Amino acid sequence: MEKLYPIPDMPGLSIVILILLSMIFLYLARTPMHEALKILVEGTAGGFKKVAEWAANLSNAMTDNNRKVLLESGIADAEQKIMEEFRRLEATYSKHLADYPKIHLKLDDNVTRIDLDYKECGQVVPAAPGWSEVIESIARVKENTGDRIIEKMLSEIHKSAVEGEKKALAELRSESSKRHKILSALAPVWKQVVKLMDSVNKKVDLVIETTSRIDKYMEQYEKVREGGKDSIEMLSSRATKLFIFSLIVIAVAIFGAFINFQLISLPMAEMVPSGTRLAGIPVSEVSAMVIVALELVIGIFLLEAIGITNIFPQIAGMTRNKRLILLYGSLFGLFFLASVEASLAILREALAEAKTNVDIALAGDAGTAISSQGSHIAVIGQATLGFTLPWILAMVAVPLEMFIEASQHVFSKFMTLLVRLFGHIAGIFSYIFEYIFKILIHLYDAYIIIPLQIAALVTRKQGA
Amino acid sequence: MNEKSLLPAVIRGLLVAGLFSLVTGCTGNREYETAVCALGDISGTYADQKPTVANLIKAGILPSMVPGDSLFFITIDSNSYKEDNLKQKVTLDYRPSYANQQKLEFAKGLDDFAASSASSNYTDVSGAMMLCSDYLKSTGAGTKLMFIFSDMKEDLEKGVTRVFENDEFKGIHIAAMNVIKLAKDSRDPQEYRDRLREWDKKVMAAGAAEWQVLFQASHIPEFIEKAKKD
Repeated sequence: MEKLYPIPDMPGLSIVILILLSMIFLYLARTPMHEALKILVEGTAGGFKKVAEWAANLSNAMTDNNRKVLLESGIADAEQKIMEEFRRLEATYSKHLADYPKIHLKLDDNVTRIDLDYKECGQVVPAAPGWSEVIESIARVKENTGDRIIEKMLSEIHKSAVEGEKKALAELRSESSKRHKILSALAPVWKQVVKLMDSVNKKVDLVIETTSRIDKYMEQYEKVREGGKDSIEMLSSRATKLFIFSLIVIAVAIFGAFINFQLISLPMAEMVPSGTRLAGIPVSEVSAMVIVALELVIGIFLLEAIGITNIFPQIAGMTRNKRLILLYGSLFGLFFLASVEASLAILREALAEAKTNVDIALAGDAGTAISSQGSHIAVIGQATLGFTLPWILAMVAVPLEMFIEASQHVFSKFMTLLVRLFGHIAGIFSYIFEYIFKILIHLYDAYIIIPLQIAALVTRKQGA
Repeated sequence: MNEKSLLPAVIRGLLVAGLFSLVTGCTGNREYETAVCALGDISGTYADQKPTVANLIKAGILPSMVPGDSLFFITIDSNSYKEDNLKQKVTLDYRPSYANQQKLEFAKGLDDFAASSASSNYTDVSGAMMLCSDYLKSTGAGTKLMFIFSDMKEDLEKGVTRVFENDEFKGIHIAAMNVIKLAKDSRDPQEYRDRLREWDKKVMAAGAAEWQVLFQASHIPEFIEKAKKD
């Protein structure tokens, strides 16, 4: 450093001279230096700004795309629900309302019967004899005439009138009794009519319930089709919920699959001797993994055939008979694998027991025997577990479908967030660089403040 | 190449690549297997330890072995570098039930050894180690272990020369077990310690992966597990 001093004996003065020289040089180079710094600002801060803009545009495009996908899936979901309801409605019509003509016929019959009975009841009934007054009058006249012939004649008339009255009364009672009987026979018919009407009401209620559900879904469908903010948020929240729940269930299923694998890997070594390895894993363990994987695959086909999941459109589009074949095939496959696993679990226990016995014998305690009761319980437990686990694993298809559906949205949302974050970081860097260079320009000017002020003074004087 | 002909070519390429990776992915088991060699000293000073040696191998080494592993049992006598000294060898079957049977048969052989009255005047530890090294290398196993049941006091017969090559014990984990103390050692422990230190230097100079002196049978499984991980 000292070599640079213009007057080596006077370092202080040398430094002052150097500073002054540098000030003059920097003053003279001010314009190109400012230009250079501005270009640097544009190159760095501008570059970061561009990156931030690109990230913002990309995240917007991704959000837009995600929104479209969400809407499409929402529309498809609503359409599927409506279709299902229509199918249910069709089934209700064909199953319940198919009986309607019969019910109607029965109702008609019953009404006709009631009508006939009513008419029969309404037929002219012999009037109740109103002869008592006549008879009493004849009786009174008979005592007051004083003519024996007339009295006898009146007596005869009185007698026949009394008999006629008695006969008419008997006939009236008989007719009334008949009508009472007809009316009492009407009671069950009425009851039947009421029952039939109830049945009709129930069936109509079912149809009304289905139609109201369709109305609700139609409303949802229309809302989703409109693509409002509310419906997007609703769809997004539903997809996130589905994703979380399905993730939890799949995590549990993975643990289940691991237990299943542990249960069968040892006995598989007895059946498939692990002389070779596939990617470092013994063939016996690969076989155990394949069995577990097969259970999952068959489970997927089973639930597809039932119609619970809809992963493969080809299966969904199959005819009922073909689906039935697939269903029975899957059921048989699962039953077969579950049986294999149960037997492997029993073999596993036997092998474990044999190994324990060998280890005890090697340790020089050959007389020790394992409690057979405990062993039986373990065997039964393992066999049950071996038989049950494949059926439970088969159900993974449902959360798997949910996971696939929901993950598309969640991953896209996550990626959008990442891109947005990246954009913000680039924006922050852009600001930082911009201000750093601005400060640098000001510092530059501050360093050459003396020549700058002198130049300003000179300019002002020249101007004056 | 047009689009129509490109697609089948890509599919064919993928199929070939898949088949290739499947074939190359299928490997033998050797690198995952363990070969163990146990050396039992029958020379005068150690001859009475035969039952202890047999029990240590039965309770310590055999239970740690899994299907596919190999076990050799070699005796240390006056001139150990000969085939006759290989008393027993077994490679466990991949079927666990057969492997258990083989272990029991090997244990029976060890019981016969313990009951035998065989002994020797000289102690050729190095020769037995060299023979053992040959057998261990021949297995091609991924993990190779050598257990020496001896007082480690070498006493070579006149005319017997034993020089280890630089890679004599390359990749072999060696443990001296049940190293009993001789009368001299009791009087001067430094002699015992120097002897073991000398062996440490010799085997490590001959390329051994590890040298250990184990004092408890319970340390055998730990030693095997550690060697497998290395």
